[in-house]
Amino acid sequence: MSITAGMDVGSSAVKAVVMRVGEGRDEVLAHALARVRRRNVAQVVEEAFAGAVAGAGVRALDYVATTGEGEEAPFATGHFYGMTTHARGALFLEPRARAVLDVGALHARAVAMDERGKVLGYKMTSQCASGSGQFLENIARYLGVSQADIGALSLTSEKPETVSSICAVLAETDVINMVSRGLAAPDILRGIHDSMAGRFARLLQSLRVEGAVFVSGGLAADDGLAAALQRALPPEGARRPPEIVRHPLSAFAGAIGAALWGGFRREKVGMGGPAWTASATA
Amino acid sequence: MNCFVGIDLGSTTTKAVVLDADGRVLGRGITNSRSNYDLAAEVARTEAFVSARFNHLEREVERAGGAAALSRLLLAFRMEQMKVQLASLRARIWDEIGRSVAPALRAGAAEAVAEIFRRIDAEEERRLGESSPPPRSDFFRDAAGSAYARLAEEVAAAAGVTFDLLLGLYDKCIVAVENEPLALGFREHIGKALDRAQASAAVRAAVHASATAEFAVAATVGTGYGRARLPFPKEQIRSEILCHGLGAHVLFPGTRTVLDIGGQDTKAIQVDARGIVTGFQMNDRCAAGCGRYLGYIADEMNMGLHELGPLALQSRRPVKISSTCTVFAGAELRERLSLGEKREDILAGLHRAVILRAMSLLARSGGIEDEFTFTGGVARNAAGVRALEGLVAENYGPRRINISADSIYTGALGAAHFALRGTAA
Repeated sequence: MSITAGMDVGSSAVKAVVMRVGEGRDEVLAHALARVRRRNVAQVVEEAFAGAVAGAGVRALDYVATTGEGEEAPFATGHFYGMTTHARGALFLEPRARAVLDVGALHARAVAMDERGKVLGYKMTSQCASGSGQFLENIARYLGVSQADIGALSLTSEKPETVSSICAVLAETDVINMVSRGLAAPDILRGIHDSMAGRFARLLQSLRVEGAVFVSGGLAADDGLAAALQRALPPEGARRPPEIVRHPLSAFAGAIGAALWGGFRREKVGMGGPAWTASATA
Repeated sequence: MNCFVGIDLGSTTTKAVVLDADGRVLGRGITNSRSNYDLAAEVARTEAFVSARFNHLEREVERAGGAAALSRLLLAFRMEQMKVQLASLRARIWDEIGRSVAPALRAGAAEAVAEIFRRIDAEEERRLGESSPPPRSDFFRDAAGSAYARLAEEVAAAAGVTFDLLLGLYDKCIVAVENEPLALGFREHIGKALDRAQASAAVRAAVHASATAEFAVAATVGTGYGRARLPFPKEQIRSEILCHGLGAHVLFPGTRTVLDIGGQDTKAIQVDARGIVTGFQMNDRCAAGCGRYLGYIADEMNMGLHELGPLALQSRRPVKISSTCTVFAGAELRERLSLGEKREDILAGLHRAVILRAMSLLARSGGIEDEFTFTGGVARNAAGVRALEGLVAENYGPRRINISADSIYTGALGAAHFALRGTAA
């Protein structure tokens, strides 16, 4: 058995977990999230890590694993690729998952995997922030809607507006135009959710996903997006459409996967001695 | 006098140009665009006629030998316009306090707002007394907003309210002020401005002569991003491309290729010897390659847009930016800064990235022919101009590059010339 930490360093937030790994009962002991908000990433990494370690009440770690843009953690033992950590983390949170859709602040990516978490395929959105988490956040700000309310508002839409691809930076003018045409905020948000979901559905379809799709990343908590995604994945012939599943710890899927892989690697390599102790960075 | 008006309703600013029957520019006006497009067009037109009156006046007064008196009169006139807008703003903030401020805070908020406006009035009076007051934004939103925010910070604590509360009141009311049709024309305010500036009899006589001169609008043509929403019949609307091509031709008759890098779009246009468009390419709906790209970068770096160019010019080893999307370039900027790369080197790379996008647009539109006219906000950015000069020389050889200080009016100028041609034909 090992005590490991996993850290997922994203462009808008750093997610950290501390886990007990091994002996057939893996368990998340604590989790912490710190937002970047134009701060130095190394400082945000410290904050998230300290939060998770304090929450778990541990004095030593056997492995500190990073994923995402994890080069910013100088005390890490090892680094794992985002697609493998998200696949592993998704399976831990939802054993039926056969694909992960990770919707982050800048990119969205889809990963198909088997029941053991082996990555079968991988697709990412193009080099444009339209339809990213950051984009949705900008739109909400121009509409005067707080981020937590986006999903619920979108679900109340009665006349969804069709929104084609909008530049994340020029969105302000587009939103002003939509508002001046008399469109209501829920209809605009629903239109944007539908447009995003259409693109994500194409990513998933190109991977030929069968089974449940686990949504990870910061936007997993958005009920409006999840509903749009379910609508955008129609049944294909006789096959049932993939089911969209989420978990309260969806945002931590990458960090969980990293912590699990860290524990696995430690068992395999049989490293001795802790990778990190409370005094080391105190 | 018969005159011809061109209006360019852009996504950020709305411009108007007034011509006489010989195609000479009588006046130009600009305002910030807002959700009410008709009103934005109306304000720009009013401003263009105000400037036409003052230009007319300048010629009269020069004959009367008192040009200095005129700049004072213009200052007094601007102040009268500002007072009308300030009165509207004050009344709206007053209503807003009664509507949305918690009862316990109302007295404090009212006291603070009254004090802010007292100080703004005093500052305006002082401004009139100065021989050369510091320049400020032409837009009421910016001029009043910066004074209000500065004074709100000074008075908030003493009145027992927060700065955020006071600023929130301004933010809620300024949009309504901008969308209210206010009387801001020459004839409405010139009388009071004459008294305030204590103008001489000679100046008064000149004003009287030019105020009675009739400007009869013979034709108007509209263009720009919001042209479809202008209250004009269809035959009075021309595309931005046509107007820009003709406007550049009027500014520099030798023009064969035009590059316009505006706030939200970039256009590459080929024109013939008469200024008629023969080919074009346009990039819109994407901020990469537009002025807004640099605006976003300025925000990311907490710098003013006008500070970017001078800093980028100091670069000795420009970096190569690998992202296309503006948001990703912003992330790349942060990453490079955290790796310790120099700000000026990254900025030089970002300027080059904007110009590179324009170069591919130019290539697709048919290349760069001599003479080459560069317009739009980025034409005022020295680092952007230098990057363009380098890339043009590298890819096309020597070309004469024309840049005009008034290039922001290029589209409106072209539209006004279409108005002139339309009636001549």
